[in-house]
Amino acid sequence: MPHLKTVYTKFQNDPNVAFLLVSIDDDSKRLERYLDQMKFPFTVLRASSAEMQRAMGFNDLPSTFYVDRKGIVRYQILGFEAHGDSDARVAWYIDQLKHGKTH
Amino acid sequence: MKKTLLVLAAAAVASAIGFAQSSSARQQLARGREAWDQRLTKTAIEALQEATRDPATAAEAHELLGLIYAFKGWQQDNVLPGFHDEPAYREKAIAELKAAVEADPKRFTARQALQIAEAYAAADEIEPLPPRPMITQLDARIEKGRSRDMPIGDLIEALEARMKAQADAAPYFAGAQVLIDRGEYDNAIKLAEHGVPVAERFIEENLSAYQMEGKAQGALMRSRAQAADIVGWALFMKKDYAGAATKLEEGERLYRGDDFNNQFHLAELARAQKQSDRAREHYLNALSLTAGPPPARERATQALADLYAAGQKKKKPFKEWLAAQLAARQNERQKANLKSRLDTPLPKLNLTTLDGKPYDTSSLQGRVLLLNFFASW
Repeated sequence: MPHLKTVYTKFQNDPNVAFLLVSIDDDSKRLERYLDQMKFPFTVLRASSAEMQRAMGFNDLPSTFYVDRKGIVRYQILGFEAHGDSDARVAWYIDQLKHGKTH
Repeated sequence: MKKTLLVLAAAAVASAIGFAQSSSARQQLARGREAWDQRLTKTAIEALQEATRDPATAAEAHELLGLIYAFKGWQQDNVLPGFHDEPAYREKAIAELKAAVEADPKRFTARQALQIAEAYAAADEIEPLPPRPMITQLDARIEKGRSRDMPIGDLIEALEARMKAQADAAPYFAGAQVLIDRGEYDNAIKLAEHGVPVAERFIEENLSAYQMEGKAQGALMRSRAQAADIVGWALFMKKDYAGAATKLEEGERLYRGDDFNNQFHLAELARAQKQSDRAREHYLNALSLTAGPPPARERATQALADLYAAGQKKKKPFKEWLAAQLAARQNERQKANLKSRLDTPLPKLNLTTLDGKPYDTSSLQGRVLLLNFFASW
């Protein structure tokens, strides 16, 4: 997820955009170490793996969802994808939704 | 040659399913060790647990269980594609190794293994183990078998050795591909077909290592797809076009159309049958995927250029036309990947902060939200 830090610099002062990371780790110590290393500048939450997979329909990680201002899921990238997870693409999804476009 | 291969396939099946039920603790210990050598983890654990009940074999069995659990807990990341460490096994590893030392305080190897596991538990980070050198060496030898310089007997020997060394299906599929290159189509088909039950067993034996059920399912589907594609390609080489079509299309369904080799094979089949439109579609699909060996990509590009030159409409230069076609396909594929949860409201998710307090996403309403799920493993 280091690329999300890069993209975040573009949106960190934008009150209309929020980044949420959700870890589905069981191992708190390992997660702690990872977060120490990554020093994410945005909120990191935790959740149960099985519950999230059921609710969001992913079965690979990382999986990213883009939710518009009305709370509707508009884009999703399931599992790592070189194109969909590129900095430019992540910023593009957010910009699309900021300007009220859907697809 | 034919006879050797039949023996090989039979031996492989026997080693995969043939551990006779045995009652004595010694036999269980031997069975556990053999299964673990092949990374048939579930069988190994069951047998070794039995062997811990007999004082004569307890120390050795506990030690081996401790080593297996330590591997699962700290070292199996990246050893096999899709595997992740399982932190739940770490405490179990130390408990087993302590039990081994308790059962036989003079057991040096157990005391040493316990020290290592305790050092792991205290360490900040453990380097994942590389694959075993024996496995990588045998895989490299099988790959060398593509060249006719290697006598077929040596290739078979390497295949047999690799099957015995670890019970995953890689040697079956890689071996079948090498056999196709060597013109051994019937044996390639047999070997690829044997690979499917082997893959199923191996995934089942290591199910928890995949951490996510979807991931294990994906691995299973890929091995079925791979077998279907290899069998289809061997049938194509034998000029059984009807049989090839059935298998290659089965592969396409299982791969969901996104495997380079499979699309390339379907294209070659269509071209051999003079179905230009279908051939063009499959070549384009193949090239729009970011994989495939350079010679096959070159062959596909050349075939498309020939088909384009023979076609009616030629408004653009070939290169321009090709770039536009590939971009359109990549776009379509991406849209297809973006499905299921789309255009539905974000469900209420049971999330907590790092210090365990509940977190409600409705506090973010009115903002564009990037929601990313990850794990540090």
